Amino acid sequence: MDGTAFEFFSIASGFLGGLFVDPFIAFVDRPDKLIQIVSQGLSAGIMYSLVALGFVVIFKASGVFNFAQGIMVVFAGLTVVSLIEIGVPAIFAILLAIVVMGAMAVAIERVVLRPLVNQPGIILFMATIGLAFFLEGFGQTIFGADPKPVPIDALGIPDDKFRVLGDFFRKPVRIYQLDLTALIAGGLMVAAIILFLNRTKIGRALRAVADDNQAALSVGIPLPFIWVVVWTLSGLVAIFAGVMWGAQSQAGFSLAVIALKALPVLILGGFTSVPGAILGGIIIGVTEKLAEFYWRGVLGDGVEQWIGYVIALIILLFRPQGLFGEKIIERV
Amino acid sequence: MTAATLERSAPPAQSEAPTPNARRNFSEELLKVEDISLSFGGVKALTNISFDIRKHEIRAIIGPNGAGKSSMLNVINGFYHPQVGTITYKGQARSQMRPHEAAKTGIARTFQNIALFKGMSTLDNIMTGRLLKMRRNFLWQALYWGPALKEELEHREKVEAIIDFLEIQAIRKTPVGRLPYGLQKRVELGRALAMDPELLLLDEPMAGMNVEEKEDMCRFILDVNDEFGTTIALIEHDMGVVMDISDRVVVLDYGRLLADGTPDEVRANQQVIDAYLGVSHD
Amino acid sequence: MLYREAGQFKTNYVADQAIFPIRQDRIGMAIVLLFAWVIIPAFGTDYFLEIIMINFLFFSLAAIGLNILTGYTGLISLGTGGFMAVGAVASYKLAVIFPDLNIILVFLLSGLIAAAVGIVFGLPSLRIKGFYLAVATLAAQFFLDWLFLRFDWFTNSSTAIEGVPKTLFGFLVTGPDASPFAKYYVALGFVTVFALIAKNLVRSAIGRAWMAIRDMDIAAEIIGIRPLPTKLLAFAISAFYSGVAGSLMLFLFYDSAEPDLFDINLSFKVLFMVIIGGLGSILGSFMGAAFIVMIPILLTLAPDLLGLPISSDLAKHLEFMIFGALIIFFLIVEPNGLARLWQITKEKLRLWPFPY
Repeated sequence: MDGTAFEFFSIASGFLGGLFVDPFIAFVDRPDKLIQIVSQGLSAGIMYSLVALGFVVIFKASGVFNFAQGIMVVFAGLTVVSLIEIGVPAIFAILLAIVVMGAMAVAIERVVLRPLVNQPGIILFMATIGLAFFLEGFGQTIFGADPKPVPIDALGIPDDKFRVLGDFFRKPVRIYQLDLTALIAGGLMVAAIILFLNRTKIGRALRAVADDNQAALSVGIPLPFIWVVVWTLSGLVAIFAGVMWGAQSQAGFSLAVIALKALPVLILGGFTSVPGAILGGIIIGVTEKLAEFYWRGVLGDGVEQWIGYVIALIILLFRPQGLFGEKIIERV
Repeated sequence: MTAATLERSAPPAQSEAPTPNARRNFSEELLKVEDISLSFGGVKALTNISFDIRKHEIRAIIGPNGAGKSSMLNVINGFYHPQVGTITYKGQARSQMRPHEAAKTGIARTFQNIALFKGMSTLDNIMTGRLLKMRRNFLWQALYWGPALKEELEHREKVEAIIDFLEIQAIRKTPVGRLPYGLQKRVELGRALAMDPELLLLDEPMAGMNVEEKEDMCRFILDVNDEFGTTIALIEHDMGVVMDISDRVVVLDYGRLLADGTPDEVRANQQVIDAYLGVSHD
Repeated sequence: MLYREAGQFKTNYVADQAIFPIRQDRIGMAIVLLFAWVIIPAFGTDYFLEIIMINFLFFSLAAIGLNILTGYTGLISLGTGGFMAVGAVASYKLAVIFPDLNIILVFLLSGLIAAAVGIVFGLPSLRIKGFYLAVATLAAQFFLDWLFLRFDWFTNSSTAIEGVPKTLFGFLVTGPDASPFAKYYVALGFVTVFALIAKNLVRSAIGRAWMAIRDMDIAAEIIGIRPLPTKLLAFAISAFYSGVAGSLMLFLFYDSAEPDLFDINLSFKVLFMVIIGGLGSILGSFMGAAFIVMIPILLTLAPDLLGLPISSDLAKHLEFMIFGALIIFFLIVEPNGLARLWQITKEKLRLWPFPY
């Protein structure tokens, strides 16, 4: 009996130690490793942020929860890659992709959004699930189901790595130029979007539409035009996200599933906050990588598949509107 | 609402021959609020409000828009929690309570902006008012047989009585989302009545109605008060209605208590007249 | 002329509260039951019984479960696949650990285990609403997916879970060797009983409480409905249905399945059934399930019939496109789904042939 009890305690203490003690010892023991993992997390996180960003743009301006954002990223990335593959120069490939995403925005406005105007949000949400399925089937028919490598050279994306802090640690920390590019370009993009939303006439119209599209219509804001603008804007973000994400691994439809990770990012950041999307992405990315590396011992492989969701859930329990969302006030 | 309505509704003849209501005697206290203060962030909605509601009376709460009337009802039925003050209901003092607990103790209410269940029929909406009285658990309900069916039918009969009382038999099976405004208000009253309330809170039951609909609604309110002995607290902007049907009136302005008394007293109160007419402070 | 309720007077509330108050509906239902219980098994081929009917039946059950949660209580869930996985894994483990346990009890207990898991993942619904809740249910899906892949205790150290052969009244009803005939009756029995129970629930007090929460949760609380227990009960019952559906799917249809069969795409599939069939309708759940089950079958049959052979890859892609397009089409044409179209047809029939 004592033996069993002892065994139980040793397993339990081993588990709890693995959960609450060992990882933190490892943090201090090998700081270079920690920094390396964090930087990996950053580069994964910024990708989530970019998907979430396209989503926030649409939600902020039209109140539509666009489930198809992930597939749009894949679609945009594959358009660029395929065009380069058939010999189109990179710059034209990107310009053409912008045209394609614009055309897609027009089509979506015509076929999906316009007939569903004034329907409750849940109906539009389900319509975008339908859209996601359609785009996945359509994209696979056009581009084929196999993932494609992104021609990094043709696009002029630097892919070297810096080795830094070699003097301090046993091994230098590797920082990839690809990640830095994504981080800097992503930051610029966010700044541009914030300026666009807050400082331009169209931006103000967008916010009006988001608030109440009936009222916006009554003061003469052209709703279809606004929607096309918004979806094109999120298409632009998608092109960038698709290319950068593809550059990290490959551009293919399996990315669409990973793009679902952008959803906890949204919860964390709040559905309407542009800076929230960026910060939320980074928090989720870093936590995931840390959990996968340091808590694998007790929780097993693949923790990163769900840890982001669990973090988001815990945050929701304390702040139902997300970290940066606007406070919800109930009234009767 | 405006000075004109206030004056029109105050013919001198009425004060000489008091209505039957005014002769009734109310002594027992049903609900008492003391020193209630409520604020949202920095905005003060209610400041040091005290008044009582006695059993079987019709108590009106009036005041200009934004005076805190709806907030007061929300405090009474537990939807808002005041920062300061106590509420004594049926002799029990409390400072906080969840809305469903208020419902359990017999407080029912209607809303300024109708809060019906739009996807359900009139009958089902009123049946929801009986939920608290239904005892069978979901396993019995899954069978829809024996005690569960018997219970369902008992409550159906009660609800049918309310439907008859409110004269809405014809729309029994119509989804309420399709009904015109006046009828929706009536269904909402029906749902509140189905709870067999001791205290019925009505938030602008006659807003947006035409004269005929208002007369109907007044009749229902008076009948409920008379036949079932239900205590009623109502918010209303139409001074004619307020002065006619209420026993005592509370006047709020900017979250403060301005006056409290019988319709005649309130009408004669200088502060109330100032608040409604506006006054030049010189 | 055929569908007219004139002259059918109700003299008491029992008759008015009946499940099908109109005589023609009762006759219609009797015919459907006759077909399901006698004619289909008598004349249906093995292929028809197994690939079409059993497939349709367990999906109907899952769709009813999700409809209780999403259609009646208004809580969007993307975790149906996860709850079905719980049911499937639980029934496999129960059948292996307790070889003597009656198969019906195995299925019911699996449903109860799924219900318990459903309650756990339903807890956030007290504070979270709408889209946020939809994302929270995704957490359930991904966590459960991972759990069953990661810990091989659930799969008894093999890559797949299996439908253990079991007998009922002396007949072999599950496992690869059982006849489609026997499997069909087990599936039909479960679906008949639980569809009736679901219909009873949604038309009694608990159903009204769910719909009240769906239509206006604040008003529901003010008339005395406690939000958390009401929502949790919806989660539990919904997960119970999904769990039983998952068990049936494993034991009566696939016989052997890897846990990743129950992935997010399964959740979407059931959600589509509910949308196309009609939110807030038990009948709609059946219609939606039939519709979604038939599409891939027709897509594999149609090209051959038309003499246009297409590759299986293309068929798969087309299936995605058609699913997506149909969802959008239905939402635009009739957001309330096939069940609403059926109701409109019936209203038209009442007046036919003199519509004015």
